[in-house]
Amino acid sequence: MGAKADKVMDVCLRAGEIMLTYGAETYRVEETIERMAQAAGFTNVHCFTTTTGIFLSFEERKGKGDLMQMVRVDNRMQDLNKVTEVNQVSREFTSGMLTVQEAEKRLEEIYRAKIQYPIWLIHFGAGIAGAGFSYLFGGGLFDYIPAFFAAMLASIALVEIEGYLKVRFASEIAAAFVGSSSAIAFVMLGLGQNIDQIIIGSLMPLVPGVPLTNAVRDLLSGDLLAGMSRGVEALLTSLSIASGVALAISIFL
Amino acid sequence: MDLILELIITFFAIIGFGIIFSVPRRVLLIGGLIGAWTWFALQTALEIGVTDIVATVIASFTAATIAHYLARKLQIPATTLSIPGILPLVPGSLAYFTMLAFVEGEYIEGLENGVQTMLQAGGIAAGLVLALSLFSFGKGIGNRYETGDQ
Repeated sequence: MGAKADKVMDVCLRAGEIMLTYGAETYRVEETIERMAQAAGFTNVHCFTTTTGIFLSFEERKGKGDLMQMVRVDNRMQDLNKVTEVNQVSREFTSGMLTVQEAEKRLEEIYRAKIQYPIWLIHFGAGIAGAGFSYLFGGGLFDYIPAFFAAMLASIALVEIEGYLKVRFASEIAAAFVGSSSAIAFVMLGLGQNIDQIIIGSLMPLVPGVPLTNAVRDLLSGDLLAGMSRGVEALLTSLSIASGVALAISIFL
Repeated sequence: MDLILELIITFFAIIGFGIIFSVPRRVLLIGGLIGAWTWFALQTALEIGVTDIVATVIASFTAATIAHYLARKLQIPATTLSIPGILPLVPGSLAYFTMLAFVEGEYIEGLENGVQTMLQAGGIAAGLVLALSLFSFGKGIGNRYETGDQ
């Protein structure tokens, strides 16, 4: 294959890989890649994306055989900022404002970039979110503080344990267990009254909001395979959370 | 008065969620506002007297519509705004009580709560679908009959 085709293939797949890893819907990944390849002047562009991998094929010149490559996506995280930035790069590339080399450099920067918020702010955000939801679901203002700390502990547990365990769902069970047992402990110490609402609040930051929304969107746009697999992922996460809480409740209550 | 306090708390809770999902900095506050709108729409609809599910559909539909519109204006992926928009609807407490009932061996109560949880999740999806179909009007995603002229 020609040098340019090779480069464009790499750039397209790298863009798709970042988007898929950090929580974009598969239809968006396919659309982005197809547009970028077409903007680079290739024909017969086909892209097939599932939740765990991307296939891309296109024709460099009429009469020559088609080129095809794939990448495998193992990790799936949630960083909507990276999705947005890749979207911006592809927009500029498609409209001809970026060359292939520039696009590659930008994508490499996005790929390497750390998450935009510091980790303490993420834990703090988890606390605020959990406490807010415990209030909205019927907890009193007196429960706001314990729910805040329980949610923060759950978030810290998730991040810390994920570093050691290879199985994602195990760390979710552990985080849910830590969150709900600390909620139970707070109530037993006399901080907070509504134990149910505090537990719910502590678990809200673990809820798989992004996969769930994307699963719906994928199913609707006809990506049945990707939608089903992402839906199953969200379901498994919910089940892990449920079993973590069930464990804590049956041990401590 | 209660509603205003709830709206403020929702706003900050959604911003917290936005930080967890790493929503871009420039749209973090917009996401919070859309979340607050969702809660307002849900409460207002319940006040008028429609059922939980219909209220969820209304809130989710309006939030997703706003999210799609703003996403197009600001040139960002719609997911970035629609996720903060639907988060206040997630039936977290129902899901919890379902699970609690099953853990305690109250299977009938668990099934009741479970069905309601599923319906509410379906309501969120329905709202998203309606907003999506509004914004992909004419593009013809998922046609059953070849009525188009291509």
